[in-house]
Amino acid sequence: MAKEVILDCMGEACPVPLIKTENALKKLEIGDVLVVQIDHSCAMKNVPEWARKEGHNVEIEEVDDGEWEVIIEKTK
Amino acid sequence: MEKKIEKYDVVIIGGGAAGLTAGIYCGRARLKTLLIEKSLVGGLATYTNEIENYPGFPEGTTGLGLMDLFHKQAKKFGVDFKLTDVKSVNLDGEIKQVETFRAIYEAKAVIVASGGKPRLTGAKGEDGFLYDKGISFCATCDAAANTGKTVLVVGSGDAAIEEGMFLTKFADKVIVSVLHDEGKMDCNEIAKAQALSNPKMEFVWNTVVDEFVGEERLQTVVLKNIKNNSLIPINVDSCFLFIGYLPNTEIFKGMLEMNRGGYLITNEKMETNVDGVFAVGDVRDKFLKQVATAVGDGAIAGYSVEKYLAESEIFQHQIMQSEMPGIVYLWNAVDPKCRELLPLIEKYENDYQGKIKVTKVDIYKSAGLANRLGINQVPCIVTIKDGKVDRVIIENICEEELAASIG
Ligand SMILES: Cc1cc2nc3c(=O)[nH]c(=O)nc-3n(C[C@H](O)[C@H](O)[C@H](O)COP(=O)(O)OP(=O)(O)OC[C@H]3O[C@@H](n4cnc5c(N)ncnc54)[C@H](O)[C@@H]3O)c2cc1C
Repeated sequence: MAKEVILDCMGEACPVPLIKTENALKKLEIGDVLVVQIDHSCAMKNVPEWARKEGHNVEIEEVDDGEWEVIIEKTK
Repeated sequence: MEKKIEKYDVVIIGGGAAGLTAGIYCGRARLKTLLIEKSLVGGLATYTNEIENYPGFPEGTTGLGLMDLFHKQAKKFGVDFKLTDVKSVNLDGEIKQVETFRAIYEAKAVIVASGGKPRLTGAKGEDGFLYDKGISFCATCDAAANTGKTVLVVGSGDAAIEEGMFLTKFADKVIVSVLHDEGKMDCNEIAKAQALSNPKMEFVWNTVVDEFVGEERLQTVVLKNIKNNSLIPINVDSCFLFIGYLPNTEIFKGMLEMNRGGYLITNEKMETNVDGVFAVGDVRDKFLKQVATAVGDGAIAGYSVEKYLAESEIFQHQIMQSEMPGIVYLWNAVDPKCRELLPLIEKYENDYQGKIKVTKVDIYKSAGLANRLGINQVPCIVTIKDGKVDRVIIENICEEELAASIG
């Protein structure tokens, strides 16, 4: 069964969220979903961009003003 | 997985200054509006810490702060936001389709506001150090992480020099690779003078990047002197590329007209070559790519879409209606010949009230309806039968011809 993992990156500035995302995704299986919680706008530029470039499916929810969840479905 | 389908009046692709302004205008015109943005709402302007030339902010403003205000204003007018990337579009016909990973959005009009993305050098090793590995395009994002370090900036335009100066507030040393001869830069004179006298900035003239080198992270950028081909290795903690931008137009290839660089061609109403599709901001082929001009484009497109949708409504429900026969009088209010015929049309309209639908289209106000009917000459009468164009009368428009046309 595919699982969903939450990665808390609240309060963390670039490049920390992206490094954490890369490491967390390595540990997941294909089909699993990683939800990265961020509140630094800089991470909104590189985390989704990087994940898409790697070929994963990405969607973002704005949960609050200046708070986002980047939802990454691991595809490979 | 079955994709869900959602319907909108207008879908805007891209949430930078241009898309957000178009959203404000469409939302305020009470159009059902969706804006799709694949990363941070605000676009490229959020990459800079200081915007000093956008009117209304005499003390200057941050890119992020300014775009936040745009975003709030668009939300206030009821624009829906979806944060995902548009994978493909189908722009033919009356109803356009915009497809994302999970959904297909159907819209009567589409505004392309996809802006630009930073250009890469194409040098050896570049791919391996993108994202968090040492190559950056955003000083605001990565400046703090370079506190006390040495960074290289590639480029000498406004963005390169202004962002380079911003980086000196954090980094110990900012080395700038400039393509041109000593003392020559592409930026404005004020920035140039400031940069040349900034003690933390150093310049390496006549150079391009030859190679990016490092283990996990970038360690050295090898520059090449283009005059004598000598290689100059520079040890850095980060490298910032500011060598221009490329348009985000891959998904429109073969559909929308573009110039050789891939920028979309529009007219002054922001219309592209496809009916109902508009383009705004940096993605357009235009003279000056700035926030102020992106805003102007967005306003025009919002207004154009409103007119286009109103015209579609008239075209479908009044002109091409099939309840009764119709005639359309295409005229130009400034043309005397057209004006002379007007009483005749109005008499006809009165005589046949409830039997024939008469529509007068003044092409001086807008050529949109004439284009939809394929007419480029006035005065002209088009007769409609069973919801289709029956006859086009250009010569000898008179009472007898009109009477005969109802047949
Ligand atoms: C470092 C720097 C400094 C600058 N300084 C100034 C300045 O001082 N003053 C000034 O006026 N201008 C400045 N500019 C220029 C200004 O940022 C641009 O002119 C402006 O951002 C253009 O707005 P836009 O809406 O056309 O495009 P963009 O801002 O590029 O926005 C386009 C948006 O579309 C999104 N997008 C693209 N493709 C898709 C897709 N397939 N699906 C979903 N979304 C998509 C992108 O993610 C992006 O957010 C600067 C630019 C940079 C990079």
